[in-house]
Amino acid sequence: MLSVEWEIEGLQTVGIVVIVCASLKLLHLLGLIDFSEDSVEDELELATVRYRPEGLQQLEAQTRFTKKELQIFYRGFKNECPSGIVNEETFKEIYSQFFPQGDSTTYAHFLFNAFDTDHNGSVSFEDFVSGLSILLRGSVQEKLNWAFNLYDINKDGYITKEEMLDIMKAIYDMMGKCTYPALKDEAPRQHVEIFFQKMDKNKDGVVTIDEFIDCCQNDENIMRSMQLFENVI
Amino acid sequence: MAAGVAAWLPFARAAAIGWMPVASAPMPLAPREKRRAQDGFIILNVSGTKFQTWRSTLERYPDTLLGSTEKDFFFNEEINEYFFDRDPDIFRHILNFYRTGKLHYPRHECISAYDEELSFFGIIPEIIGDCCYEEYKDRRRENAERIQDDADDENNKEGVLPDMTLRQSMWRAFENPHTSTLALVFYYVTGFFIAVSVIANVVETVPCRASPGMIKDLPCGERYALAFFCLDTACVMIFTVEYLLRLIAAPSRYRFVRSVMSIIDVVAIMPYYIGLVMTDNEDVSGAFVTLRVFRVFRIFKFSRHSQGLRILGYTLKSCASELGFLLFSLTMAIIIFATVMFYAEKGSTASKFTSIPAAFWYTIVTMTTLGYGDMVPKTIVGKIVGSVCSLSGVLVIALPVPVIVSNFSRIYHQNQRADKRRAQKASKEAGQAFLNKTNLSFEKEHHHLLHCLEKTTNHKFVDEETYEKNCMEVSSVNPPGSHCSSISSQHGLTSTCCSRRNKKTFRLPNSSHAGSLQELSTIQIRERPLISNSRSSLNAKMEDTVQQNSEHPYVTAAIISIRTPPVTSPEGNNTSDSPDYSQRNIVKVSAL
Repeated sequence: MLSVEWEIEGLQTVGIVVIVCASLKLLHLLGLIDFSEDSVEDELELATVRYRPEGLQQLEAQTRFTKKELQIFYRGFKNECPSGIVNEETFKEIYSQFFPQGDSTTYAHFLFNAFDTDHNGSVSFEDFVSGLSILLRGSVQEKLNWAFNLYDINKDGYITKEEMLDIMKAIYDMMGKCTYPALKDEAPRQHVEIFFQKMDKNKDGVVTIDEFIDCCQNDENIMRSMQLFENVI
Repeated sequence: MAAGVAAWLPFARAAAIGWMPVASAPMPLAPREKRRAQDGFIILNVSGTKFQTWRSTLERYPDTLLGSTEKDFFFNEEINEYFFDRDPDIFRHILNFYRTGKLHYPRHECISAYDEELSFFGIIPEIIGDCCYEEYKDRRRENAERIQDDADDENNKEGVLPDMTLRQSMWRAFENPHTSTLALVFYYVTGFFIAVSVIANVVETVPCRASPGMIKDLPCGERYALAFFCLDTACVMIFTVEYLLRLIAAPSRYRFVRSVMSIIDVVAIMPYYIGLVMTDNEDVSGAFVTLRVFRVFRIFKFSRHSQGLRILGYTLKSCASELGFLLFSLTMAIIIFATVMFYAEKGSTASKFTSIPAAFWYTIVTMTTLGYGDMVPKTIVGKIVGSVCSLSGVLVIALPVPVIVSNFSRIYHQNQRADKRRAQKASKEAGQAFLNKTNLSFEKEHHHLLHCLEKTTNHKFVDEETYEKNCMEVSSVNPPGSHCSSISSQHGLTSTCCSRRNKKTFRLPNSSHAGSLQELSTIQIRERPLISNSRSSLNAKMEDTVQQNSEHPYVTAAIISIRTPPVTSPEGNNTSDSPDYSQRNIVKVSAL
């Protein structure tokens, strides 16, 4: 008899405890009670950094563009990036608009590093325009220098086969899947082999800047294609 | 986005120098550009308000009035400006479209004025940005309905047309009682008889004083059975005649029979006839009694007479899903509480909560705050649960009701919007197609860039179908002159690049092999706009400016047929057909 009573009492107690806990949880959910300490409100995001480039005069002096050309560049630049700087995400996004079929993010990453000369993680208008100045108005030597800088991922002055392979894969990635002839996995590697055969004169497994420039200057195709984009702007 | 992307094209092309040292094949020539005139200002004088912008801004959309040479018709030499005698306020939005690529619809503007301006300037409304598109479509629909209503009213206000048949005039009389006196009379007579019939049904059941000689009270229906029967007969006769007349006059009998009102009519008069047919049959008299219940449906016939009832029915129907959800959540709550109550009250003696379904009744009564008191919990836990139940009942039912009432129209429209959006997708495609007629020189340069990439990697872009086909036909890949090299898959190219969907005009420079004169022939390919997943078919219109010269020119042609699988039938091709193949095996396939 007693045990039955206790059983009922016990069940009732359990029930009461459960209900009390549930209601506390409900109140916490409703925001009336705070248990944890870290209910900090989100910090207001700092206002977006606004970056202004140097004056037009200085840029004209530093690059080989005329004022008008700089103006045209800046207008396009500012339209896409109102904050004045391009970060890597935006850069990749913009670049991939031109290559819808493949995946251009890896190559865009390398390109970003090539443009971001001071390595601060963002490309300002000055970086952008000085890069373009080399590419569009520079001498062949400068262009080749720039290309070497692009390939040399760790900027140590040597292009190793691994670096070249990374670059090549990135380029082939931009083609995407649907190509003719169908893209094999070996294609980048083979291409790298051909490249090294051509460029690496002393067969030491790396390509230095001098080997690179020498070899390119002796190659008619490359020299001609360097002139290809003279009249882009 | 097209506008912005175009500005970065020089950058992308410059960056292509990074591929040059790696490429093993020579690069194609850059497209010859006419020396662009320095980008100058253009002044647009719209009814005295001057707008200024760059010429190149306007040229982004060559398919519109401002982007094409059509604006020369509006050039005024005296003031040396382009003068448009239109609304400057609306023109602001149109000019912003050129600048930002997005067309917005200002809410305060009249929809028809806006439409007129858009059509004047050659802009199709489907390209209105997502932010304003719903509003635009809603306003347009309201406007169209208003016009339709006005037109209907006009039609109805006309007197009887001399050449309307008897049937048509009868139908008109039924639908619009105000048109003629006879119709009005008919309308009121039927209304009166509906009321009489309903009242008779009600009064039938009231207990009347017992007739002398009987002890207990009889319902009036049985006391004055004959009178009620006559009344009922008269009403049913009127209803039947009305129904038959409507049936005869209906322009589409099948549709009429299926309509709600006619079903109500039928249901209302059927019990009488069934009763006539099966009198004094004990077995079915029970069922017969049930049928009499349906006589109450006569009250719904009033909805023909009352606009308000119709609107109420319509709104209930349209809010059905919201009400359904409310019911569903209520059901969930009921089940939860009933279960808890049952188990809480299990222990107590002589508990009324004999099963969970029995507890349902308690839960419903408690949650709706009725509280009959026929079932009450006895244990402490039960009482706690009961109180929580009634509190939550107040919340679950009483609070949302005013919210639902005030949300009626908002939810209704929102629901409609989702469907509308789906329906509008098709027209949006057309809008995208319009947007994507971008600058031709941009196209040229972009494709030159892609061509350079192809050359660097020694692979060509193809579209998916060709790719799959090639994968399957690996064996037949090599015989010279027998397969296609299709460059540039429109499908892939057009999915994100420069164009949001899939319409593109395409120019591909053809170049010949190194060492010989460069030839440029452009092939212009136009696509029809894609609809969701289907492929586009491209018409290759080849304008040939090829001059044949050296021994091995190779001409790469871009191609494309997606609908008809790229077959090796080079019909409609360049004149430089079979002999001009170089080391590569290239076949031109054209699609029409």
